[in-house]
Amino acid sequence: MSSGTLEAKLFDLIGYMATSGRNLVDETPLYGPFRLVDAASRLVRILEEEGIASSRLSTLRERIDAGKYTVMTDAKEFTAFLDRIVDAVVDHMDDAPREGGEDTPNDR
Amino acid sequence: MELYEAIHGRRSVRRFKPDPIERDILERVINAAVWAPSGGNAQTWRFVIVTETGRIAKLRTVSPGLLGDPPVVVAVCQDLDAAYDKGSTLGETFLAPVDAAMATQNLILAAYAEGLGSCVIASFHANAVGRLLGLPERVLPMLLVSVGCPDETPQPPWRRTEGVVHYEAFHE
Repeated sequence: MSSGTLEAKLFDLIGYMATSGRNLVDETPLYGPFRLVDAASRLVRILEEEGIASSRLSTLRERIDAGKYTVMTDAKEFTAFLDRIVDAVVDHMDDAPREGGEDTPNDR
Repeated sequence: MELYEAIHGRRSVRRFKPDPIERDILERVINAAVWAPSGGNAQTWRFVIVTETGRIAKLRTVSPGLLGDPPVVVAVCQDLDAAYDKGSTLGETFLAPVDAAMATQNLILAAYAEGLGSCVIASFHANAVGRLLGLPERVLPMLLVSVGCPDETPQPPWRRTEGVVHYEAFHE
């Protein structure tokens, strides 16, 4: 997901999400949360490529990408990873970029 | 490469370098798949090798399990009409997926022996993949395999042994 127009990138993402929706009817339940956070990561990557992501969004994507594959190996660790992602969301709630797109000093 | 080294060293790779794979290497890997056993020596598997970037991108859109940007995706398919002709209902419903799996195991071990990474993917929409690859109605994709130069070295996952292997008879 690194080339093409924004519309094409979003089309691919929506295709991924729609196909995931269908496949999850039959797949292991734990893949549901995995596809959700992976879709979030893919969305942030699109925003990064378009130059409209923020530090906090990129931080969340990096954390998602670093831990998402634990779904394949350790259900408990994957659940703990999801908790940490939600914690990170809370941690960054007040770090919205200022009007004009500049990140606040607390952003990483 | 020694067989046990390949069995123990292979990992599911989901990050690939963009380097293309040479045709002769691909042919060796696919040839290893063709040398897998099959029920009644049916050999009703069909392999579609995809290297076009645009087609791989389309496959990825309808294949949630296809992660990363592999330069090659192999669709391991089965001709269900041929499988039925060779093995009746058992051939179509049981041997076809089992044979595809055995061929896939050969494929990924051969890929590893060639220094390549791979990942076996079952999470895809079969009809959508069939349309994108121009598969006849009765040729179904059983598995997708991403192949490429690995850009990661995953840690070996946990392997369960207790309660898995039983000698002589099953013991609770």
